[in-house]
Amino acid sequence: MIHTSDGVIGERQRRSLVTPETVLVLVVVLLLLVAPLFASQFFLSFVLTQTLLLGVSAASLIFLAAYGGMISLSQTLMAGFAGFVIGNAVTTGGSKGLNLGLDPWVGVLFGVLFTTILAFVLGAVASRSTGLYFLMITLTFGVIGFFFFGQVTTFSGFGGVNQIRSPAFIGLPGEYPARLFYVALGVSIAVFGLFKYVGRTRFGLALQGIRDDSIRMSSLGYNLWIHRTLAFTLAGFVASLGGTLFVWWNRQIDPATIGIGRILALLIVAVIGGMNRLAGAWVGAFVFVLANNYVRDVPLLNQIGLTENRFNTIIGIIFLLIVLLSPDGLIGIGQRVAGRFTRREQPSP
Amino acid sequence: MRLTKTHASAWKLLALFTVLALVLAACGSEDGTDTAPDPAPATTAAPDDGPDDGDTDGDTDGVGTEVINLAVLSECEGPFGDFHQQDMAGVGAAFAEYAGATITDPNDAVAGFTGASVAGVPVELVGIGCGDDTADKAIEETRRLMEQIGADIMIGPLSGDESIAVANYAKDHPNQTFINGSAGAMDTTLEVQAPNFFRFNSDGAQWNAGMGDVAYNELGWETAAVIMDDYSFAWTSGAGFIAEYCAAGGDVVSRVFPPLGTTDYSSFVDQLPSPDEVDGYFWVVGGAGTLPALKAFEDSKGPLTPDQHMGNLFWEFAAGSLDASLEGAYVGGFGTAADLDIPSVAEHTEIIDRHFDNLEPFGEAAPQAHSGFLVNYYSAAKALIRALEEVGGDISDNQAGLQAALSNLELDGPYGTVTLDENRQAIQDQYVRQLVLGDDGALGLTTVAVIPSVDQTFGGTFSQGEMPSRDVPSCESRDIAWIGNATPVVGGVPQG
Amino acid sequence: MTTETIGSRKTTSQRSALQRAVLVTAWGALAVVLAWVLVFANGTPAAPLVSNPANFVTVILNAVTISGLYFVVASGFTLIFGLMRVVNLAHGSLFLLGGYLALEMQKAMVGKQRNIVSSDVGLADWIIPLLVAAMLAGLIGLTMQQVFLRWFQGQEMRETLITIAISVILADLMIAWFGSTAVDVTWPGALNQAITVFGIRYSLTRLFMLGIAILVGIALWAWLQKTRTGMIIRAGVDDTSMVEALGINVQMVFALAFLVGSALAGLGGVMGGSFASLAAGVDGAWLLNSIIVVIVGGMGSLKGALAGSLLLGTITAFAPAYLPSNFTHYSIIFTFGMLAAVLAWRPYGLFGRPE
Repeated sequence: MIHTSDGVIGERQRRSLVTPETVLVLVVVLLLLVAPLFASQFFLSFVLTQTLLLGVSAASLIFLAAYGGMISLSQTLMAGFAGFVIGNAVTTGGSKGLNLGLDPWVGVLFGVLFTTILAFVLGAVASRSTGLYFLMITLTFGVIGFFFFGQVTTFSGFGGVNQIRSPAFIGLPGEYPARLFYVALGVSIAVFGLFKYVGRTRFGLALQGIRDDSIRMSSLGYNLWIHRTLAFTLAGFVASLGGTLFVWWNRQIDPATIGIGRILALLIVAVIGGMNRLAGAWVGAFVFVLANNYVRDVPLLNQIGLTENRFNTIIGIIFLLIVLLSPDGLIGIGQRVAGRFTRREQPSP
Repeated sequence: MRLTKTHASAWKLLALFTVLALVLAACGSEDGTDTAPDPAPATTAAPDDGPDDGDTDGDTDGVGTEVINLAVLSECEGPFGDFHQQDMAGVGAAFAEYAGATITDPNDAVAGFTGASVAGVPVELVGIGCGDDTADKAIEETRRLMEQIGADIMIGPLSGDESIAVANYAKDHPNQTFINGSAGAMDTTLEVQAPNFFRFNSDGAQWNAGMGDVAYNELGWETAAVIMDDYSFAWTSGAGFIAEYCAAGGDVVSRVFPPLGTTDYSSFVDQLPSPDEVDGYFWVVGGAGTLPALKAFEDSKGPLTPDQHMGNLFWEFAAGSLDASLEGAYVGGFGTAADLDIPSVAEHTEIIDRHFDNLEPFGEAAPQAHSGFLVNYYSAAKALIRALEEVGGDISDNQAGLQAALSNLELDGPYGTVTLDENRQAIQDQYVRQLVLGDDGALGLTTVAVIPSVDQTFGGTFSQGEMPSRDVPSCESRDIAWIGNATPVVGGVPQG
Repeated sequence: MTTETIGSRKTTSQRSALQRAVLVTAWGALAVVLAWVLVFANGTPAAPLVSNPANFVTVILNAVTISGLYFVVASGFTLIFGLMRVVNLAHGSLFLLGGYLALEMQKAMVGKQRNIVSSDVGLADWIIPLLVAAMLAGLIGLTMQQVFLRWFQGQEMRETLITIAISVILADLMIAWFGSTAVDVTWPGALNQAITVFGIRYSLTRLFMLGIAILVGIALWAWLQKTRTGMIIRAGVDDTSMVEALGINVQMVFALAFLVGSALAGLGGVMGGSFASLAAGVDGAWLLNSIIVVIVGGMGSLKGALAGSLLLGTITAFAPAYLPSNFTHYSIIFTFGMLAAVLAWRPYGLFGRPE
């Protein structure tokens, strides 16, 4: 079971809508809305858009962890699966895979639909276990997914699927970074709202009840398995949106995109941000993307030999420190700081 | 209870994390001394010079630029991470030799170079991409280099799947120019056919030219089995052997495809016919699989004998760990022939020696001058310099002039002339090698034949839509120009 | 910690219907597979049993011997979990590190840096590196437990995340230290040969590997069942606080379990590095193998590790041999199928108990 610390989503804020958190989220969203006016193209496309799309997948992980007490390492697979389905559906030839040449929107429909179905099936198998067992089972699903797309060349092979078309109005992310950015922002807001909303529904409350005391919920007549499976399915659906954004952004997907490195990276994103708060998904993604892009420019690290070659060492140390010092991630640190100096706002994006 | 524990031990943890930081710093500095002293921050030296203006003109087409911005995409992680220094040394040496550049640090090729100019136009190395052998990282890095830093021209990437992805990226960005680093996937040029992606090295099939001929005509293999990793580069590499061997008259009776990531090769090796049912085996199993696959063969079929086994260039990478009983076995080429006794080979060694002292982790630079990676990156850079000279450093008009010049270039490489075909793919000589045991008991390679002017299509065997796969090419007799035209090499001297 | 004992009882009727369905399907599938292997497997690499029994015997031997290696590695993983509820996701890193350490030592002992051949390698040049590397891996694991994990006892998820962080760092540092080209440990000449029994040729090294696995299995069994420490460990698995209340130093037992579990990873690494190779990514592959074995067998159970190893080994060996030649790359689906089937039937593995 995840130790849920003091901050339990939903319970605290169920009553009041105007909390410091919602205000902060609104400010950040407003800032993001005008970001294309002053951010460089690179920052917009590489840092912000990537943060948002990674955040969507991470949010699905955090939703399961925070509301359901299930740490799922299959979310990378879910996102990637949608990407592969879209890739197979929309490419028009000259790429690996089926090259069905369908309309990009039909591709998205297929991607989201098939991923949701897959999430239901995998969820049904995994949801009868909990805790560490659940974590390991979902990890195994993720890695098997990697090998599946690597070895089964009908759908991809290790080379991956290239030339994935996005809907015409989005265009090339390199040419029109603002378009995909706004789409990603819209999806992120919708996902955030969706999860917040679900957390307040009867289903969401039951899910949190199961997380906290499965025995009682079970004796009250709740079917634990069905709740968990449906939560997993919902998370799979959301992750498929993250995957869709990813292939629109990268126009390419290959098994390495869902390999064990990326599986752990998504977990790292969630942990850095804070496993107990939805907003942690985007906070963690932001830090991860920043580290990924700018670690090579930090002079001090170069001096001691930690060049970009050792990016994984650096991100591993950051991750280790966060886990050791603040299990609630940066959001947790922010809350503690805010708690100490109540006047101050939280230093998140 | 669990939670209070956290807070109580917070200070202990802090102490602990200081210790950890110190330990890691120690590891890090050890790592640092490995890769040479760092007078300047290594990889940032170049990008530091112009990332800010790059932000704003990230997507311009280079019209009217006073400086040509060059980026290199190499690999610093993953299975080819060890060759990062070699890749960069290839590019650096070409610019130092032909464009007046100053190498920043002869012990650290990744520190880059400064002061290069071609036809009076400065060429600035604005960024070095760090791939990890996966297509999606390659694209991410390409976008960083081309879109963030604002490079006009990129040299790279290193490996097959990366290059297919980058060639596809190139298609979408026709106003930038891409010159392949060292990748050898056939699709990159023959299938994708991006008009602004150029490759001055051979593909995996071309590298194996001569092997089929040797197997049939010299070793007398009437029948052969091929075992290859189940992905595109291995299919390409195997296809080069199959096409030529069948064209020469041989018959491939078995093709076995262990998936990448196989732990136990025994079930796949068992699928091969036994040594009394087939005359020889061609091995295209790479990475972590080379050694276990060969061991599984020894376990179930018997000893590895040099006249019954051949490998592609994967054996070159594994040479340090191969069983010495394979001495004398033929190994497919990598476009290089270090031991060829011709002036251009020695000259190339001198060039590398002149500009670099050490290339970690392999040590002294000169002995690495003829590593395939170094040579391929070198050729790409030299081709770029020659083409830029031809257009007077003018990359206006969406680089159309430069791209035309590259297409028609006749490049003097370390081993002879390289020209491009209509898909901008190199046509060049290839080299058949043999494993030899050195005096120190270590296996090395020696060149035994030159195969003249090998092109990508193998006499029309391959074409767009007819790319190597599990069952392409089929085994049939064809006419391939170079069969029977190999020039033997004895003691480094081509005979005739 | 939450248990679902009551919950599972409540839905018993529903579950058992599902379980019955799974069981029937599984038996049906097994019957189909057997019939396939026996008679119908034409066009497969191995050919049906009736027409080529020798192949079948070889495949069985392959399955059992690779299972041995799976078992050695997974038993360490399951031991640590069973006692401490720590999923040591750095287990694969310790495997790889053990292999590399043994290789370095073998190089020093043989006095050659490259192309070591079996005839250069005496038995001692393999066994001593094996033992030392296993011990070192054990010590590194112990250090990891003492420095990082001890503070968070009881916070399973946090401990698991810490091991993930360590695995990420170790994987990257091993590339820096040992390079990215694949290398291997060389078998001793005395073992590196094949024996032929009833016309079936088989590798002595694989049988030797199986022998080590059996020894490890017996030793672990004897240790856990027949010694006082073993009894304490078994008691600790059942009820840590009770053992503590009896005045036994549980910390000591935990440390010991971590030492032995990590040493088994290192031992497996040397065997794996001799049988296959050492390279970046191998750590992840063996972590996955161990995880599959314990998920199928049941975490914390030695019997489970044995059963899981045998099942996974069977699939590893049989799928490529008995699938039609053009479909051998689909064998990964069978691994998934086995996993899904076992979990649908028993969510906590064949010999596992709910947490």
